[in-house]
Amino acid sequence: MTNIQSAAVTAEAGGPLVPEGLPTEPQKAKPAWRSLNFGPRMWISLGIIGAVAALAFIGPLFYPYGPDQKVGSLYDSPSAEHILGTENFGYDVLAVLMASARNSLIIGLLAGTIAVLIGVAIGILAGYIGGWVEEALMGFTNIVLAIPSIVILILISISLQSTNVAFLKGVVGLALVIGITAWPWTARAVRAQASSVATREHIDVAKLSGARTPSIMVRDVLPYLASYAVMAWVLQLASAILAESTLSMLGLGPSGANSLGKQLFWALAFQAVATGAWWAFLPPTIVLTMISFGLLYLQSSLDEVFNPRLRRGKKKNLAKAAARREETARKLAEQNQRVEVTA
Amino acid sequence: MSDSVFEKPSRRSFIKIGGLAIGGLALAACAPKASTGSTGATGGTEAKLGVGNNGQVGKGRAGATGDSLLIAGFQWGPPATFNPLSPTAAWPAAANVMQIVYETLLRWNIATGEVMPGLAKEYKLDGTKTITLTMQDGVTFSDASPCTAKDVVASFELGKKNTGISTAAFWAAADAIEAPDDKTVVVTVSAKTKNVGQVLRMLTETYILPAAVFSKIADDKLPTEIMDKPIGTGPFTLSKADQTQVVLALNEKYWGQTFYGGLPVMKQIIHPIFKSNEDGNIKFQAGELDIMQQFVSQIWKMWEGGKPVGTYLKDKPYYVPGSMPMLLMNTTKKGLDNAVVRKAIASAIDYASIAETAMSGYSAEVQPSLILPSGAESKFFNKEDAAANGWKFDAAAAEKLLTDAGAKKGSDGVYVLDGTRVGPYKLITPTGWTDWNASCEIIAKSLKAIGIDCSTNFPQQAETTQAIQGGSFDMAVWYVSGVNPATPWARFKDIMSQSEVQPIGKTTFANYGRWKNDAVEALLTEASQATDDASKKAAYDKLDALYRKEVPACPIMYRPDEFYEYNATNFFNWPDEKNSYAPPMFRGAGNTWMYKIKKIAG
Repeated sequence: MTNIQSAAVTAEAGGPLVPEGLPTEPQKAKPAWRSLNFGPRMWISLGIIGAVAALAFIGPLFYPYGPDQKVGSLYDSPSAEHILGTENFGYDVLAVLMASARNSLIIGLLAGTIAVLIGVAIGILAGYIGGWVEEALMGFTNIVLAIPSIVILILISISLQSTNVAFLKGVVGLALVIGITAWPWTARAVRAQASSVATREHIDVAKLSGARTPSIMVRDVLPYLASYAVMAWVLQLASAILAESTLSMLGLGPSGANSLGKQLFWALAFQAVATGAWWAFLPPTIVLTMISFGLLYLQSSLDEVFNPRLRRGKKKNLAKAAARREETARKLAEQNQRVEVTA
Repeated sequence: MSDSVFEKPSRRSFIKIGGLAIGGLALAACAPKASTGSTGATGGTEAKLGVGNNGQVGKGRAGATGDSLLIAGFQWGPPATFNPLSPTAAWPAAANVMQIVYETLLRWNIATGEVMPGLAKEYKLDGTKTITLTMQDGVTFSDASPCTAKDVVASFELGKKNTGISTAAFWAAADAIEAPDDKTVVVTVSAKTKNVGQVLRMLTETYILPAAVFSKIADDKLPTEIMDKPIGTGPFTLSKADQTQVVLALNEKYWGQTFYGGLPVMKQIIHPIFKSNEDGNIKFQAGELDIMQQFVSQIWKMWEGGKPVGTYLKDKPYYVPGSMPMLLMNTTKKGLDNAVVRKAIASAIDYASIAETAMSGYSAEVQPSLILPSGAESKFFNKEDAAANGWKFDAAAAEKLLTDAGAKKGSDGVYVLDGTRVGPYKLITPTGWTDWNASCEIIAKSLKAIGIDCSTNFPQQAETTQAIQGGSFDMAVWYVSGVNPATPWARFKDIMSQSEVQPIGKTTFANYGRWKNDAVEALLTEASQATDDASKKAAYDKLDALYRKEVPACPIMYRPDEFYEYNATNFFNWPDEKNSYAPPMFRGAGNTWMYKIKKIAG
């Protein structure tokens, strides 16, 4: 992952490239978070996700109405008391929106984590061990990958709905289903990286020092994949939330639980678009867009953090860096001259 | 299938239609402005009746569709056959729909409870023994052949030849049908059941078919024969049918011109075939449909938005109640076999919420009774007993019923009664039945609130039907008999009778909850055989009291038998509560408005 160019850029970001032994200006101590190299994209995406999370988890603590509390009639328009009006059951749209956003985030977190855990486990096993294990696991992965996951999702959710097991019918059941169907592409990508890591020298060193295979996989292979796993997790989160909304909008969502897709399902069923009840379908659409945009943006900014080659700077900083480079070149030239003179 | 009515529209016919439409537009543009001058009741010299609920009328449609009635809400897929004996017959050959191509002997009026003349000009009852009908003068089929009492007898005899067609039900209620002469029909009511109401119901729902056509079909082929040229006694004939529309043309030689006071005002009836409710509703709002039978959420938005849209009642509930969707409870399931639990469930449901939100306000307050408290059945409704021994939404009372019976709440918040946890129950209804789906959500939430474990599930219609008829369901929202000459008896039979019940796993068509009681059959017989209203009411009082005690199922809303809504863009003088010459329906006596509406332009 490292090369000269990126090393230079990293070094430049830290300060002027000055050969050791030369007097440099004293550096100010930087707060720890600045050394994480978070770009503006990161802050924007974290802001969006933070806003949705605050709506979902902190909002209900302060909002006077609950999502199961009938406060009005069918599609009452927004008023001072209910700023987003009421939906088709007469519940406050904002209260339902908070509960829906919470459930959507929980489903996303659960499903995304399950998918990444399965994907990383299968990927490392296949990539590190290789041989017939790799062939078998990747064969299985390719088969799962070839079946359109939405079809499996729809079929499993229909059968889940007709069970009488409360645990499987709810939010957790749906998250399980999404997680179990979403792992294959993560597994494939992780396998590729794991098989590359497996040929590096430090693995040989670990083997020679007598480390067992599971320990090598966890301590010596996994850390090299961690950055990828984190990004995959963020992407899985976004796609799990969208998958849940798709299912709920088709009327296959968790029974008795609110979700953004379910809000859209009822808005469509009660013809909110035709009757002009925009407050029934716009808020869940906007929140859904915010979540998936925020997560995808976060993923691309994480990419920048982990891969400095992609990092972009402000024009002002670029100009400064150019000036610094000139200054360094001048100093180096002076130094060389001095060396020549003394010689 | 070679007949032209089943062909897809060809390019040539498309160009022809397009040319007509353009020609019509050009003519309309040239026409004097006077024809489009009447805008609304305010501009007219005298107030028009049967217009939009906001008093508005449109300007009339220009061009070829100006003389056509556009109707929707009856046909949802490509028409398969126009054989009225087929269970998949297309509109208007499907069973018990508007009398456009096929007609019945008698016509039911849902608003007054009257049985009105149709192909028969009168009927006479001889106690519970016979019904004698006299045919109208000069009745002919659309191929100009006469329709006589022999055709009537042959039409009902078809039900004996093949028990798989709906006419077969007639023979459960009648022993014989005879034609002493060409104009007289005598029906002998079954000596066993003596159920005159059920016979009258069959007479209002059974189409009279040409014996010459149907006698040529083999008995076992009766329901499966494909027909594309239906021949009936009605005022229209089929002119075209494809996957986009069904088009009917006026029969200028219709026999009923003197009886109905003239021919229908429209030259054509067109039923466009839509994919969903929403598509139809948008066309209706735009005045591209004149009348339809579809659920429209918040229909008042249409007339508030200035569209000349009208309903029968001018205030909520806008539609006349005609059916009662029920919450069915499977009494073979643990917990639901206990009348206390069933009554607690009935008391826990927030009926007002269902009426207000799920049903868009189209339902009146639900009463604890199997009798509709308004319209034709209201004379049998016992208000005092319903108030004293019935139930209404009261969560605390529902919980008290359970605790009084000794139920204790478990750690999961769900009651346990006599060692049986009350739930989990699965509440089903077909997916896409929007108002029923929403009702189920409200019921499940209501039940959870008092400690009964219930969750919703919306399978496909076929799967739901199978679960209900086969008895594998826990709870379901489903329909029972709407208002007809045999109700409320038929509804009590649908919910309480054991006479048609099959064991779990076998298909049954009544008492889906498999509820058992020894007193019911005698009471049902008493009600069906009573000859005057007073003795009928006495029998219904006893049945309803037993129903309220045992609660084998409970009504969750009142729904119109058919949604009746019109758009006065092209026609006015639609029936409504101020202009009540016809009931708000399509079937039975609902055909009257076809002859009485008036064109706005020209």
